Amino acid sequence: MPRRTEIERLYDEHAPSLFAFLLNFTRDENDTRDLLQELFVKIAREPAILDNIENERAFLIRLAHNRAIDLIRRRDTRERTRENFAAEQVSLFAPAGDPDVKLFREELAQALGELPEDQRAVVHLKLWEGMTFDMIAGALEISPNTAASRYRYGLDKLRERLRPLYTEITNAES
Amino acid sequence: MSDELKQFEKLLESHPLRPVPAEWRKEILAAAEKAQPAHGRQPIPVRSLPGLLRSLFWPHPVAWGGLAAIWIFIFAAHLSMRDEMPVMAEKVLPPSPQVVMELKQQQHLYAELIGVNDSSDTDRPKPFIPKPRSERANIVSV
Repeated sequence: MPRRTEIERLYDEHAPSLFAFLLNFTRDENDTRDLLQELFVKIAREPAILDNIENERAFLIRLAHNRAIDLIRRRDTRERTRENFAAEQVSLFAPAGDPDVKLFREELAQALGELPEDQRAVVHLKLWEGMTFDMIAGALEISPNTAASRYRYGLDKLRERLRPLYTEITNAES
Repeated sequence: MSDELKQFEKLLESHPLRPVPAEWRKEILAAAEKAQPAHGRQPIPVRSLPGLLRSLFWPHPVAWGGLAAIWIFIFAAHLSMRDEMPVMAEKVLPPSPQVVMELKQQQHLYAELIGVNDSSDTDRPKPFIPKPRSERANIVSV
């Protein structure tokens, strides 16, 4: 088996996380693919950008986030509103066999799409990347307090939005 | 954070995210490999100096000629101005009487300070020469 190149290693280690983050942020699979490719092309062109980087994941998420923001700004100029993104059905979660779980995942994906982008990014990194607020702050270039407050607002909104389903699940479990 | 919120957090975390489509790996890595600086690129051939100059100037010879003429004109104008500079220096006016007076005063002061009495004849007090009595009488009467 041939030895993995550095770019392959980076892809295998970070592409799944970057993909999920970009998909949740852009709500568009084609845009996600373009951004992911742009990102790896940039790394291939300028491998030195990763020199002296302590946390590769946080750094790559920062690059991805900046590019996604640029893309969304360009998209906004094409008169596409956030409501349109939220209305789009994006399969953010792994497919589920259980219809209740499937329904919950669909509703959760929809609810995440309804959050403002800055809250959605923090919620995603905290819940599915397991990052601390300090790490999130570094990745998104905000203060840890801002990251914490955005997370709290985002989580509250999700809970309110998913309360009927969530209550049903907790009742069924008990 | 309340227990309910923590429980809700755990519920959300338990739902795994979709994996990146497998077919993307090959495509993205192929694009990245193409973009690598030292891969699959022909080195730039070293051209001879005349060839390089020809490729540089050939597309717009009139424009380059015009530019060269402007530069020659600027150079000539610069040279002619430099020739006139000594003439201008020669035409400098002599110092005014006030300046001369000022210089003399400074010179005098300097001489006093160092204790040398080298003041000129014009500055030296005139020796008293008694005039004839008749003249002195005139002065008194006036």
